[in-house]
Amino acid sequence: MRNLFSIGRHPVWLTVPSLLLLLVALGYPLAQVVLRSFTDPAIGLDNYVWFFSRPVNLTVFWRTFEVAGWVTILCLVLGYPYAWMMTAVGPRMRLLLILCVLVPFWVSGVVRTLAWVILLQDSGVINRGLVALGFEKVRLIRTPLGVIIGMTQVLLPFMIMPLYAVMRSIDLRLVQAARSLGARPTLAFVQIYLPLSLPGVFGGAIIVFILGLGFYITPALLGGPRATMLSTLAQQQVLQQLNWGRGGAMGVILLVSTLVLLAVAARFTRRRYQITGGSK
Amino acid sequence: MNRLQRTLISLFCACVALWLVAPTLVIVPISFAEKKSLAFPPDGFSLQWYANLIQSPDWSGSILNSLKIAVIVSVVATVIGTLAAMGITRMKAGSGGVVRAILITPMIVPGVVLAIGIYAVYLDHQLVGTLTGYVLAHSMLAIPFVIIAVGANLAVFDARLETAAASLGASRLVTFFTVTLPLIGPGILSGLLFAFVTSFDEVIVALFINSPRMKTLPVQIYSSMTRDSDPTVAAVGSLMFALTTLTIAAALWIGTRRRRS
Amino acid sequence: MKLIAKAALQAGLMVAFGLAAQAQTAPVAGETAEGSLAGKTMSFVSYGGLYQDGQIASLQEFVEKSGVTLLSDGPTEVAKIQAQVESGDVQWHVVDTGTLTPFVYCGELFQKLDFSKIDISNIPEGQVGECSVPAMNYGTVLMYRKSAYGDNPPTGWADFFDTEKFPGVRAMPGDSEPDTTLVELALLADGVPKDQLFPADVDRALNKFRGLGEDLIFWKTGAESQQMMESGEADMVIAWSGRAMGAQKNGADYAPVWQDWIVVMDQLTIPMGVKDVDAAHALINAAIGKRAQEIMTEQTSYSPIHKDAQPEVDELLAQWLTNTPEKIAVSYQQNIPYWIENYEEVETKWGEFIAGN
Repeated sequence: MRNLFSIGRHPVWLTVPSLLLLLVALGYPLAQVVLRSFTDPAIGLDNYVWFFSRPVNLTVFWRTFEVAGWVTILCLVLGYPYAWMMTAVGPRMRLLLILCVLVPFWVSGVVRTLAWVILLQDSGVINRGLVALGFEKVRLIRTPLGVIIGMTQVLLPFMIMPLYAVMRSIDLRLVQAARSLGARPTLAFVQIYLPLSLPGVFGGAIIVFILGLGFYITPALLGGPRATMLSTLAQQQVLQQLNWGRGGAMGVILLVSTLVLLAVAARFTRRRYQITGGSK
Repeated sequence: MNRLQRTLISLFCACVALWLVAPTLVIVPISFAEKKSLAFPPDGFSLQWYANLIQSPDWSGSILNSLKIAVIVSVVATVIGTLAAMGITRMKAGSGGVVRAILITPMIVPGVVLAIGIYAVYLDHQLVGTLTGYVLAHSMLAIPFVIIAVGANLAVFDARLETAAASLGASRLVTFFTVTLPLIGPGILSGLLFAFVTSFDEVIVALFINSPRMKTLPVQIYSSMTRDSDPTVAAVGSLMFALTTLTIAAALWIGTRRRRS
Repeated sequence: MKLIAKAALQAGLMVAFGLAAQAQTAPVAGETAEGSLAGKTMSFVSYGGLYQDGQIASLQEFVEKSGVTLLSDGPTEVAKIQAQVESGDVQWHVVDTGTLTPFVYCGELFQKLDFSKIDISNIPEGQVGECSVPAMNYGTVLMYRKSAYGDNPPTGWADFFDTEKFPGVRAMPGDSEPDTTLVELALLADGVPKDQLFPADVDRALNKFRGLGEDLIFWKTGAESQQMMESGEADMVIAWSGRAMGAQKNGADYAPVWQDWIVVMDQLTIPMGVKDVDAAHALINAAIGKRAQEIMTEQTSYSPIHKDAQPEVDELLAQWLTNTPEKIAVSYQQNIPYWIENYEEVETKWGEFIAGN
C-alpha cells in the first residue's frame, strides 16, 4: 500500500490511466482518419483536391460556418438578457430560470430534435398557426432556417451557463457607482457592465460556435439536402459510400477549422486580458 | 432602468424560458397517439407505445444496454478522471496545464470525426457493437467532464488539511478517505453524474459503432425516428423528460433548503 | 447394353437416394422445427416502418416455434454489409434488399443459398436468384396530393418533371440504393425514345432530376416518405406502394398514378460470413411460407410470392395489390440484366446525386 501511494509523490502517474485511454480511444482513431484521408484509395492529396474542386462541397462548407455563426448570434441575443435576468431576480425566480436552462441541457438532444421535427414539418404546429393567423406557410423543415431554429434551442444552455457564471461575479456596485457619478443607464451598461461580462460572451460564443460547426443530430434530422452540413456529408461518405478517404478528408477539414478557430479565440482573449490588465 | 424596460426584459426572458422548455412538450401528446404516425395533433388515445417500450426486445434491450454502459462508464471515467484531476493539481502549473489541455480534447473534437475514426478502428478489431467498444469510447468522451468537475472542486480544496492530517500521523490511505474524499465528494458526484449522462445520451459515435448485437437507446430512438415514424420514440422521450425534470427540480430544491438551514 | 443397364441402374439409384434424402430433410416453406433455434439470437434487416413490422409479424410463428430471439435492424445499406463482411464480424443475419443488389454482389457480399434448406417450389418462375429468394413483390408509384391538383391531376411520370403545369414540391427516394427504374423513366421523360434507352445515359437522367432544383426533396427511408404524405409536405411523392397505403390509412389526402408503376421485387439474402448459416436459411424458409406471406400481405398490401397464398384483403388493401391483371397491364418493368451489368456506374453517380453533388 505504501508503494502504491508513493505514486502521489510523482503526480504524473495519476494521469497515466486517463492518458492511455485517450491514446487508445481518441489518438489512434484520429490518426486513422488523418492517415486514410491521405492514403485511401491512393496515396496523395486526391481527397482534398476532390473536396475543394466540387462546388457543392464548398457550399456545404460555407453553409456550416454560416449556420454556426447565426446560431451563435441568436444564442447570444437570447441568452444575454436571460443570463442577466438570472442575476437580477429573487432566489425563487432564479431557481425557476435555472430549471428552464438545465432541463433542456440534460434532456437528450435526439428527443428535443424529435420535437422540432414535429413542430417544423410543413403541416406542423408552427405552420398551422401561421395559416390560422392568415399568413403564408413557411418552409422550415429541410431548410437552413429550420436547422438554425432547432440548433439555437439545443445549444442555448451552452451560452447561458458561461454568461451567468461571469455575470454572477460582476460587482454591481461598480455600475451603481457609475450611475451615482451621473452616468446614464445606457452609458453605465456599455462602459462598465458590458466589458465586465465580455469573458462570458467570448466563452459562450466559442463553445456554441464550435459545437455548432460539428453538430450532427439536429442538422441530420431537420436538414434536407439543401441544409446539409459538413458532419452529415462526412457521415454519408463513410456510412453510405464506405469512402473512408473522402469522409476522412472532410473530417480533417472540420477538425482543422475547429482548431484554427480555437487558436484564434485563445489569442484574442489573451490579448484582451492584457489590455484590461487581466481578470485575476 | 425604468419599470417599462424591466417589464420588457422580463417578458423577453419569459419567452426565452418558454422557448427552451415548451417545444419539447409536443412529444407528450404524440406519445398517446392511437395511430402509428408522428402527425400532430394526434387522433385518439392509447397507451400502446408505453407498453411497446417494455414488450419490444428492441426497445427494452436498448434501454438496458444504455443503462449498463452508462453505469460502467460513469464508474470507469470517474475513477480514472478523479485520479487524473488530482495528478494535475499536484503537478507544476505548466505541465499540469498541458496534461489538462490534452485530457479535455474530446470536448472539442467534432463528434463525426471521432466517430469515423473509432468506426475504422473498431471494424479492424471487431469491437463494433460490443460492450468494450462502447465503454472505451464513452469513457474517453466522459473524462473531460469528470476532470472539470473534480478539478473545480480541488481548486478550492485546501491542501494544508491533508498535510495536517499526515502530521497527526494519519497514513496516506486514511488521509485520502477521511479528509480528501469528503471534501472533493461533491465534485466527484457531479463528475459521476456528467459521465453517466454523457454516455446515456451519446449518439454520434454510437450511430457508427452499433450493431444488432448491442444497440443503445439514443441509436434506437434515432433509427426509429428516421425509419419508423413510431410514437414509441415520443413515449420514451416523454419519460426521459419527466424523469430529468423531476431529478433536477429535486436537486435544486434540496440544494436551496440545505443552504437555508 | 451393359453400359445402358449400368447407367439406368445408376440413375435409378440416384433417384432413390435423392428421394430418400428429400424425405429426410426436404424443407417445406413456412414450416419450422419446434425448439430448433432455442437460445439463439438473430437479426433481421429490412427497410423499417410498416413493411418491416409486417415482416416481423409474419415471422412471429417462426419465432415462437423455433425459440429464437429475433432483433430488427436497418435500413438496409450495402455499405454497411460491405463494412461487416470486410471486418469479418457480420451481425446482419438475414437482409431484405432491393431488386438488383443480390445479383450484383452475389458471392461477394451475399452467400450462395443452399436450396436444400429452402423450399422454393411455390415461388413464381424466374424470381429465385443464386443468392436470393424474393421477399414479396410490390410497386413504386407516383402519389399526388388531391387538393393540390383538383380536377387536373398528374397522369404519368412526365408530369413529375413538369413544374409549370404541375407546380409544387416533389419528393423522391434518396437512399443510397439507386432506383434504376427511375433513371429509365427520367430518360423517357426527357425525350429518349424507348428503343434507344440503352446504354443508359445516367448523367442525363440525374440531370433531369437536378433540373427540378428547389422543388425536389428527398426521403431517406420509407417511413419518411409516409410522413411526408401524412403531413402534406410534398405535392408529389414517389413512394413504395405499401407506404402509400399506410399514409392513406392514416388519413393522407393522396392518390396514386398507376400508369407505368414500377415493379419492384425485394429479395431475401444472407450476407457472407454469417456464422449460423442454417438458422438464416430457416428464417428465409419461414418467411416465404404460405401463412407468413398471407400475414405480410394483409399488413403491407405487398403481393405474396407464394403461389397458394390467399390473404384476407379488405377494400383499401385490394386497391393496392399489384398482382392483379389490370395493374400488371400498366406496369413498367426495368431492364434488370442491363443494370446488373452496369451497376457500379449508376451506384456511384446516384450516390453523388443524393449527397447533393
